[in-house]
Amino acid sequence: MRKRKLGFTALAATSALVLAGCSTVSNDGDGGGGDEAGPFTIGVSNGFVGSEYRTQMIEDIEEAATGYQDEGALNDLVLENADTDVNGQIQQVRNLINAGVDAIIVDPNSGSALDQVFREATDQGILVFAIDQAVTEETVINVGIDQALWAETSALWLADEVGEGGSIVAVNGASGHPANELRWEAAQGVFDDAGIEVLTTADGGWDQATGQQQMANLLATYPDIDGVWTQDGMALGVLQAVIAADREDDIIVSGEARNGFLRLWSEQDDDFESIGVVNPPGTGATALHIAMEMLQGGELDESQLHDGHNIVLELEEAITSDNFDDVWAEVQDQPDTYVLDSILSADDVQRFFQ
Amino acid sequence: MTATDKAREIEERTAFFDRVKGIRVASWATGLLLAAAAVVAAVLQPNLLTPYGVSSTFATFLPLVLVAVAQSFVVIGGGLDLSAGAIVALSSVVAVQAMRGEEGTALIGFLAAVGTGFACGAVNGLIVSRLRLQPLIATFATASVFSGLALFVLPTPGGTVPAAMTETFRQAIAGVPVSLLLVVAVAIGWLALRKLRVFRYIRASGGNPAAAYASLVPVAGARFASYAICGAVCGLAAVAVLGNSGSGDPFIGGDLALNSIAAVVIGGIALRGGIGSPIGAIAGAITLSLASTILFSVGLPTSWRALATGLVVILALSLSALGAPRRQR
Repeated sequence: MRKRKLGFTALAATSALVLAGCSTVSNDGDGGGGDEAGPFTIGVSNGFVGSEYRTQMIEDIEEAATGYQDEGALNDLVLENADTDVNGQIQQVRNLINAGVDAIIVDPNSGSALDQVFREATDQGILVFAIDQAVTEETVINVGIDQALWAETSALWLADEVGEGGSIVAVNGASGHPANELRWEAAQGVFDDAGIEVLTTADGGWDQATGQQQMANLLATYPDIDGVWTQDGMALGVLQAVIAADREDDIIVSGEARNGFLRLWSEQDDDFESIGVVNPPGTGATALHIAMEMLQGGELDESQLHDGHNIVLELEEAITSDNFDDVWAEVQDQPDTYVLDSILSADDVQRFFQ
Repeated sequence: MTATDKAREIEERTAFFDRVKGIRVASWATGLLLAAAAVVAAVLQPNLLTPYGVSSTFATFLPLVLVAVAQSFVVIGGGLDLSAGAIVALSSVVAVQAMRGEEGTALIGFLAAVGTGFACGAVNGLIVSRLRLQPLIATFATASVFSGLALFVLPTPGGTVPAAMTETFRQAIAGVPVSLLLVVAVAIGWLALRKLRVFRYIRASGGNPAAAYASLVPVAGARFASYAICGAVCGLAAVAVLGNSGSGDPFIGGDLALNSIAAVVIGGIALRGGIGSPIGAIAGAITLSLASTILFSVGLPTSWRALATGLVVILALSLSALGAPRRQR
């Protein structure tokens, strides 16, 4: 009986509390915004580490930040950089908010599931920039290349090489990952239009070793393919599998703009054909320049924004056999893990401002 | 080596593992760790004490708190559930699909999440209790199945959750954040339900199955119930996840399963089963989450973060060695 009474008391107390009134929890907008004089603090949240792309992305951001730190405009760059899931990244972003940053640059693990926490940040006047992967929250500024265009570029090239009626397989990143879906949708459209049959797709997890293994499996199952479409981070593995099967002369592989792949390319015969489309890890550093400009009072030029919150960076010219020698001469001293890069400078980003 | 030597060695080894599994963090150690973590976090990050700080911190805790409580039922019952994170993911995407972003569907989503969680837990329970497969392997396998189903239900992240769900999560009632109230409600919920017979059966089956069986405890039934309840509570965690994210993602919750096991260990629940309480699991989950906040606040390079989190778990376990109650048989 006592227990039941306790229950009723708790229920009554709860109802009383509810009646006492609700209010949304948010701190006042003192987190940042363009009206402060600085020096500023910028936070970075990245939920996936261990890939050469992400490592270079973080290094690029740190390097860009040093310049601002030297001139005293940037106080601190706070890094939240660890392997985690969406839930963990929500905590990363909240940690940054609680640390009092003025702007957050985030490589989001999800295109939509972080929207609420981004809103928590922007409601407090914190600028949020999503790089590498666009998010749907409209108060966040997406900075990046057009992933669909990126995929279309290599798909068009491959379709052209293979020709109508040809059949290919695809080694994709991860099913369900937004960037992967966006890319594959675009590429598939190209292949459908060009009359090319896609026999199957496999997931290589944007990992060279996995990509190589998947390709070896595909070669065993589908011996009669004319080409392979793959994404960055796996093309080296895929090409190695094709070479190991001694099929590099009759199977065309779409490549990647990374040094390991380019080195293998440079070791092939002169008639070897491939393509590498640059997906620059330097986008984060570009976003940092944009963030600093906005914090220092710059106003974005609305006409430069797609759908009101996307800054779309232009693609660099793709690497094909036409320009391979020039590109390779420039980057061959870099390690194999180097990802061909492009960073807009503080002056370059002025074109997005009024 | 003779056969008897070998037998003795195996026996010793089994005894050793039994002892390792029997190690538990004393309640005072759990409490001490929680208090220490809270004080250190508040000192290092004063912003945690602002209204937003409290609200957001507890909102972040809630999913892990719920999964840790869910895990504690299974562990106390002598099992282990590696699929807890996958159940959260599947329940959350089913709920998102059931609600389709329409207002006024929050209750449907809630029921869909808890129902899906319960169904997943029931599958685990059947496999472990009826087919008698090793829980570690069985739930590792079902985790893949549930993750696969999640991807099938919601192939790409997306969908929206009714504002009622996300807004409630960010409200305060008379100045107390709802997220904090919900964590307290979880604890009160357990205290209100703990006298139910099923929980006594679960504890008895986990502590000593043979003795429990001899005492007419339906051991298989209790084991099944522990997984089913775990699944349903994971469904609740899925609702908390949706409140945080406001959108579905089939990959959400990947870290939850292992973190929840760490949380129950910190919370003083012996992996051997039969010992501990979900209240400890709540404390463990909060300590673990605070540890990550502390490590962030001291500016530890993120590459060291995972290592440091592991050290926190080891520290919790070694504290128990200092003054664990001598309850080992």
